[in-house]
Amino acid sequence: MFSVFGITDPAIWMGYALAIGLALACIIYGAINWNKEGKDGS
Amino acid sequence: MAVNPLTTTILVLVYVAITLVLGYMGYKKTVHAEDYLLAGRASHPVVIALSYGATFISTSAIVGFGGVAANLGMGMIWLTVFNIGIGILLAFVLFGKKTREKGAETGALTFPDLMGKIFHTPKLQLISGIIILLGMPLYTAAVLIGGARFLETTLSISYTTALLGFAIVVAIYVIYGGLIAVMYTDAFQGAVMLIGMSILLVLTYIYLGGVTAGHKALAAMSSLVPEALAGQGMTGWASMPELGSPIWFTLVTTLVLGVGIGVLAQPQLVVRFMTAKENRSLNRAVLIGGPFILMMTGVAFTVGALTNVYFYQHMGKIAVDAAGGNVDSVIPLYINMAMPDLFVIIFMLTLLSAAMSTLSSLYHTMGTALVCDIWGRGQRCAISLRANQIGCVVMMVVSVLLALAMPAGIIARATAMFMGLCASAFLPAFAVGVYAKNPSRTGAVVSMIVGTVIWFLWTVFVHTAEAKVLGISQMLTGAVTILGAPWTVIDPLVIALPISIIVMVVYQLGMKNKTYDS
Repeated sequence: MFSVFGITDPAIWMGYALAIGLALACIIYGAINWNKEGKDGS
Repeated sequence: MAVNPLTTTILVLVYVAITLVLGYMGYKKTVHAEDYLLAGRASHPVVIALSYGATFISTSAIVGFGGVAANLGMGMIWLTVFNIGIGILLAFVLFGKKTREKGAETGALTFPDLMGKIFHTPKLQLISGIIILLGMPLYTAAVLIGGARFLETTLSISYTTALLGFAIVVAIYVIYGGLIAVMYTDAFQGAVMLIGMSILLVLTYIYLGGVTAGHKALAAMSSLVPEALAGQGMTGWASMPELGSPIWFTLVTTLVLGVGIGVLAQPQLVVRFMTAKENRSLNRAVLIGGPFILMMTGVAFTVGALTNVYFYQHMGKIAVDAAGGNVDSVIPLYINMAMPDLFVIIFMLTLLSAAMSTLSSLYHTMGTALVCDIWGRGQRCAISLRANQIGCVVMMVVSVLLALAMPAGIIARATAMFMGLCASAFLPAFAVGVYAKNPSRTGAVVSMIVGTVIWFLWTVFVHTAEAKVLGISQMLTGAVTILGAPWTVIDPLVIALPISIIVMVVYQLGMKNKTYDS
């Protein structure tokens, strides 16, 4: 049976993949927008 | 495992000394009411991120929900998905910047004050303040219980002593140092939590023979699921419950949706956005916040589920049985049995940090809601530092009394209740308030009242988990709940929030072409 790190239920390992992916997305967002101010325009 | 008392005492004293020094620094920097209430609107991004994360993650998340994961399994990881996706990304990107801008534009000092000012009516400030005072003491008491239970187990002191000592140390720096002290200590405590949870994850996998071996061992235990849980849809600790079963509804609607969405409109977190000097501070905070939350709830839920393997290998019992049936005791028991002495102390400091950082923010939010938003609404809020300090003391006493009266095993449930109430009451009005040019005042008032009332009625009369404990439905109708399955396992938030949203949207669309009537 297909498993990811010993977990066979896709609903569980997909949850882990998504959680890690979102944490990475936060890092990327923060890095890209490090100096972006937005509305106040500075 | 007995922890060396001298080492424990020294480390705890060093920890408390650092906390009090940071609290003192906050006190020295607190000159005006704006400093006390909003940290002078000039917080550093790292402080914002760690403070937001540490406030977000309490002992409820680690001990309470870690215990729930020990009971219900790894499906809890979906709460981490929501915690990061909604609690950090969506919260900071969609709401954080708008909230900061509106806060600076209107000069609002608290969450209820912001609601009052963006809708141009002190009535909303009052209603928001009242909802905070009704719901937040419950959550505060749950946080207090989580911290005190662990101190009781680790230091072998009485529960009451642990509760009081813990409550008073936090109160000292909140009362004197206001939000600057709260955020400085939060940042320090957040760093301690990160260290503690990282070690916990690594040691757990080492004990279980590695990542894959640990997961495989957990998956192989599915035949040990107690009959009562299997009958309600549980399939194992490394798999999701059966779709549509009572446990699936509890996991998905109460734990994942209720807590995951509820975080969006929590007053003590929203205020963090208003402490940022500029929007870029919030962008930078996202970079730290996402990984921080992953290392908090992701680790707590994973380790919580894996404790079943440890207890089965060492005691021949599943985790909840090993903990005498109390889910709140699983994580403390695991730490005390499995971990080396030094880590028991580090983890105690991790939990203390989690509890103190959340508790300090809750004291501050409740105290300022009492004084600023109820007593001095519309005008007196910023006048008296002393009054806000007294407000924090009053709410601390209320929370301690409530914690002494609340039953065991309540931590995760009380947390979910508070978050559900926050979302049902505040989220639609808050979202429209920060985004709409011309937000409907009547819509906000009605939406908040309808959201609160429906949440309350569903909690008291329909949702078995709370209705049974509260006993109001039994007393008034003679039945534990007035509706049958599947309604009894659907969280109040899932019913109250959509209705509250519809009310807000209808009023908002209704006034689209009208001139704002101030």
